[in-house]
Amino acid sequence: MNPCQRFLASALAGGLALGGATLLAHGLQAQARALSHEQPPWTGLPVPPGASPETLRANGRDLFLNSCAHCHGADARGDEGPDLHALDVSDRRIATVIRLGISGEMPSFAKKHSPEEIAALIAYLRTLR
Amino acid sequence: MDPGAWARLHGALIHFPVALPVFAAGCDTAALGCWSRPTAARLQAAGGYALYLAALGSVPAVVSGLVLTRGDMLGHDALRRHHLLVWPAWTLLIALAVWRALRREEPTRAGHAVGVAFGWLLVALMGGAGHWGGLLAQSFP
Repeated sequence: MNPCQRFLASALAGGLALGGATLLAHGLQAQARALSHEQPPWTGLPVPPGASPETLRANGRDLFLNSCAHCHGADARGDEGPDLHALDVSDRRIATVIRLGISGEMPSFAKKHSPEEIAALIAYLRTLR
Repeated sequence: MDPGAWARLHGALIHFPVALPVFAAGCDTAALGCWSRPTAARLQAAGGYALYLAALGSVPAVVSGLVLTRGDMLGHDALRRHHLLVWPAWTLLIALAVWRALRREEPTRAGHAVGVAFGWLLVALMGGAGHWGGLLAQSFP
């Protein structure tokens, strides 16, 4: 095998390794999404009595602008944090991320926001299509 | 398995794929320094085997990392910086190992020097990825 063929074979092997990792990543993401939607409806998000969906979403928008906009952008299209439009994960997963944060990426908001406020935030995030 | 356990497993699995390319680059550099002596061939062989082991060990390390991030190949902030170095490093590691495995004839000194340069580039990429990965690991509960 001459050096040129060896270079091509090496580049192909590196590309295949990266391609394999990409395929595995897509599979894991699909599995994570499916598991997220299989979770039973979460009853841990109390909605304030008498709050209409519109009020809840408006409160959620205010909370978003105060707590989330500096990382996710005022339009939630992403800045330092990701775009939050058309989130393909369950309410439970969103609430968990808000409450616990993501290690090394996003702080926990469990002390800052009550369950009612997290419910309002989720209601607002669901309007982002 | 909880994310903390995956993080610990990934941290444990990644040590050899990070350390072995450093050893390989060191052996290859030393071989370059004593090119005309018989030791050079033995150093090259040691560097080659270290690279093969690193490439083999990197597969479970990459798989555990992908499971840990639920298939997120980039992420944000420190995770993004980690990944921006990991993927070129891993591609280069596999390519260098395959290149080395397919080499049948004795390399020229200049050719070997090019390989050494790529070896140290790999070490730099791995080191940067390890640095950001280490910062992420510290933030895990």
